[in-house]
Amino acid sequence: MRKLIFLSLLVIVMIVAAACGDGEQASDEEEGEFTPEESIEIVAPAGAGGGWDTTARSAAQVFDEEGIIDQDIGVVNKEGGGGSVAWSYINSQEGSPYNLFVSSPPLIFVPLNGQTELTYEDFTPIANVIADYAAFAVKEDAKWDNLNELFDDMKEDPSSITVVGASSPGSMDHMQFVKIAKEAGVDVTKIKYVSNQEGGALTDLLNGSVDVYSTGVAETVEQVKADKIKVLGVTSPERLEGDVLETFPTAKEQGIDATFVNWRGFFGPPDMDESAISYYEEKFKELSDSEAFADIRSKYGWSEQFIGHKEYKEFLAEQTEELTSLMEELGLAE
Amino acid sequence: MLKSADRKISVVLIALAIGYLILSYQLPPYEFVPVDSDLMPKALGYLLIALAVGLFFTGKSDADEDKKEESTTSKSETPALLAVTAMVLAYILLLEVLGFVIVTVLFVFFCSWFLGYKKFKVNATVSILFPVILYYIFNYLLQIRLPAGILPF
Amino acid sequence: MNAMQGLLDGFQIAFSLEGIMFVLIGVAAGTLIGMLPGLGPITAIAIMIPMLYGMDPTLAMVLMAGVYYGAVFGGSTASILLNAPGISGTVATAFDGYPMAQQGKAGQALAIAAISSFTGGTVSIVLLMLFAPALASVAVSFGPVEYFALMFMGLAAISSLSEGSTMKALISGVLGLMAVTVGIDAQTGTPRFTFGNANLLEGIDFLVVALGLFAIAEVAFLIKNRNDDSLAKTQNIGSLKLTKKDFKEMRGPLIRHSPLGFIMGVLPGAGATVSSFISYITEKRFAKKPDEFGKGSIKGLVAPETSNNAATSGAFVPLLSLGIPGSGTTAVMLGALLVLGINPGPLLFQDHPDVFWGVVASMYVGNLFLLVLNLPLIPYIAKILKIPRPLLISLVVMFCIIGVYSISFNVFDLYLLLIFGVIGYLFRIYSFPAPPFILAFVLGGMMEQSLRQALTISNGDFIIFLESPIAIGLFAVSILSFAFPFFKNRRVKKAR
Repeated sequence: MRKLIFLSLLVIVMIVAAACGDGEQASDEEEGEFTPEESIEIVAPAGAGGGWDTTARSAAQVFDEEGIIDQDIGVVNKEGGGGSVAWSYINSQEGSPYNLFVSSPPLIFVPLNGQTELTYEDFTPIANVIADYAAFAVKEDAKWDNLNELFDDMKEDPSSITVVGASSPGSMDHMQFVKIAKEAGVDVTKIKYVSNQEGGALTDLLNGSVDVYSTGVAETVEQVKADKIKVLGVTSPERLEGDVLETFPTAKEQGIDATFVNWRGFFGPPDMDESAISYYEEKFKELSDSEAFADIRSKYGWSEQFIGHKEYKEFLAEQTEELTSLMEELGLAE
Repeated sequence: MLKSADRKISVVLIALAIGYLILSYQLPPYEFVPVDSDLMPKALGYLLIALAVGLFFTGKSDADEDKKEESTTSKSETPALLAVTAMVLAYILLLEVLGFVIVTVLFVFFCSWFLGYKKFKVNATVSILFPVILYYIFNYLLQIRLPAGILPF
Repeated sequence: MNAMQGLLDGFQIAFSLEGIMFVLIGVAAGTLIGMLPGLGPITAIAIMIPMLYGMDPTLAMVLMAGVYYGAVFGGSTASILLNAPGISGTVATAFDGYPMAQQGKAGQALAIAAISSFTGGTVSIVLLMLFAPALASVAVSFGPVEYFALMFMGLAAISSLSEGSTMKALISGVLGLMAVTVGIDAQTGTPRFTFGNANLLEGIDFLVVALGLFAIAEVAFLIKNRNDDSLAKTQNIGSLKLTKKDFKEMRGPLIRHSPLGFIMGVLPGAGATVSSFISYITEKRFAKKPDEFGKGSIKGLVAPETSNNAATSGAFVPLLSLGIPGSGTTAVMLGALLVLGINPGPLLFQDHPDVFWGVVASMYVGNLFLLVLNLPLIPYIAKILKIPRPLLISLVVMFCIIGVYSISFNVFDLYLLLIFGVIGYLFRIYSFPAPPFILAFVLGGMMEQSLRQALTISNGDFIIFLESPIAIGLFAVSILSFAFPFFKNRRVKKAR
């Protein structure tokens, strides 16, 4: 009996905790041909708390709170294989309009690394919603003031400069640096890159263990404000918006004609019905245009980049082609 | 006899180390780092062989301790262990097929019963109550989705 | 603003009605989450983020921090009672906590854990309050070279975890190091020992290993011995009362491991798990009676339990003073701060002193709550042991399965759990100690990676390891700790 009382106490605490964050629901009639009739699942192909998870959860939240989609939307984490475990799961849900997933450039890197057979062509790209860009940072007192000075030194003595990032070689933090450096004429096979996956990449830069930190722009803003580091260049096509972000020079304006975008969008299983695709495409457009999502974007330092179903396919083909040749040069592609 | 248990283990460990070493030597080289991904595994493989050989010849000193452990092993319990292992395997296999609630109810009930718990009413209550409450807490309060399986909620 | 004023403002927040409510909800939810094996603070906080939207940032941080240290506090319960670590930071707690419960001293063990957690937590908050800005430089002082030295120091002590044959302890450690090489190698992107299986690419999760090796293996052992009457006394909970002698035992490790755990927490990447292990092995290394460790030693319980809670407060130093997340949990909190409209960085302390002081003040309150809430509940919680054994076995298996499933949502990990359960069982049958395996698994990955990071930076030159005074100091401690037991043995022999 005491056990039961204890248990019900637990339940009450949980309810209180959950009730504090209850969102209200609004309704919105949908005129399209396809209307979801069961709950929708958005898979984040990684554990809770990462970039995919954040995107999926914030999208689901805005869909719900703004009443864009009435159906219940659940975010499901499926971790493993850098995303490939979740991808094969979605791939097996052929034609289902209720299983979506969030993805980004690893959908291109991981197949190229030979770690999965599936590529973006095995899924239905629905819409891209977010663009994030890379930043290359050095310590505030470093001798380089722009990318060209850094790259000139790298050309001269590549063994004296170490680049750090959070992902392993052949994935995002490495390839975004390689892409820009290659355009600047650096021998990319000589770049010294170390991966720090325990959250110590920025620390390694601050204590002088390494020289350059390849990361996302958002991670650098506060450190720049506090004069701890300086950003030599970002990979966006144009200057970003925001009071610190706009001070970051792009690689392009420094005469290096290359960009890198960490796109983030939503995909469905293969052979999704056309009506379902256009339904979701429209909904994601609505999401992307909503103020609530704009607010989330600005908080995380993401840029808006909506790409619809058709153009998304072309965009992905382009991205894949560019990265394939780069990774082949490094001997990383299989 | 007891000494030979350690010797058998050491042979198994050496076999394991050799398999591990073979795989280590097959790791593809990556040219851009001074120390490649194979160094540590190779070192570990040889170290394990060395330690296993050491175990082979020093097994004696552990004999006393083995005796103590061995004597408590009542051979008759091996089938029970295997049966529970089979139940756990079935639990895992069917988790995503039948769903969390159904499989857990079945597992908790039958496993407890098998291990000698005879109070049917209490057993049934607990084995139904626990999974259902947990499922509710996880899916609706924590927003962690456990597999629903064939049940509609 | 001076510290005193800041702290007073902080207490004003912590003692407001809302403040108290959020601290309470946070620590209560955290304790529960910590008690459930597998489910840990990272998942809990990540899931809370959408709910925090629009909340007052200070209160939200108070809540999240409460969940975090509450979980570390509560995580010890399952470790002690069931040998099933609630969170990764409390694996080492089971080493001596579970044997104590087996000897019919469950109540005492839980009380000791609660007092240690409280002490570790509170002392480290004082340190956090006094030294946070100054400690920022400590947090960034560790590069690959220093991390290698630290991990090496931990691994050098593996042989001390043996309960009989040193050879077997070493083999167990090497097997742990092997297990951690499975997965994509961070420095090269090469998949190692994955047999082409995508499920293994990200390596084996620590909690899968810990729950398998300890909880599942223990379940197997209980099944094997279920008709053995000598185990009946494990159902005794024992008295909660601690004697003067117990307190005397506890004093030393409490004093030692509060600051040690705190410093380890400050270092990004080390955190509660690493600190609890390092504390356990150093305590054992320099103990007068190392033989008692692993058999229900009070010191062996106090050391990791003080350390992991101290490390939890320590982890707030890099987060709040530099905007650097030192652990998975603080990384998720950093994300949450962004949602709340606060940009965590070196300027947070200046721009939002209320957040810093509010959290610090709430942690005093929260730790007190935890103690006051937990101590009276111990007799009830310990009643878990009164559950008839067959039912308890089934429920433990169920909790392990939910726990592992809620980490990755991947059935494959459940098979791994079973495999490690079998390994753990075989270890016990053939008297191989499991703690070296788990220690090597925790420290090994970081040791290998930092070794190779350092060598890439130095272009393969080993001299880099001798250029850092911190590293030299840590290497010296490793050698000393290695030699210490030999000296002691000789002294003991001479005395005889």
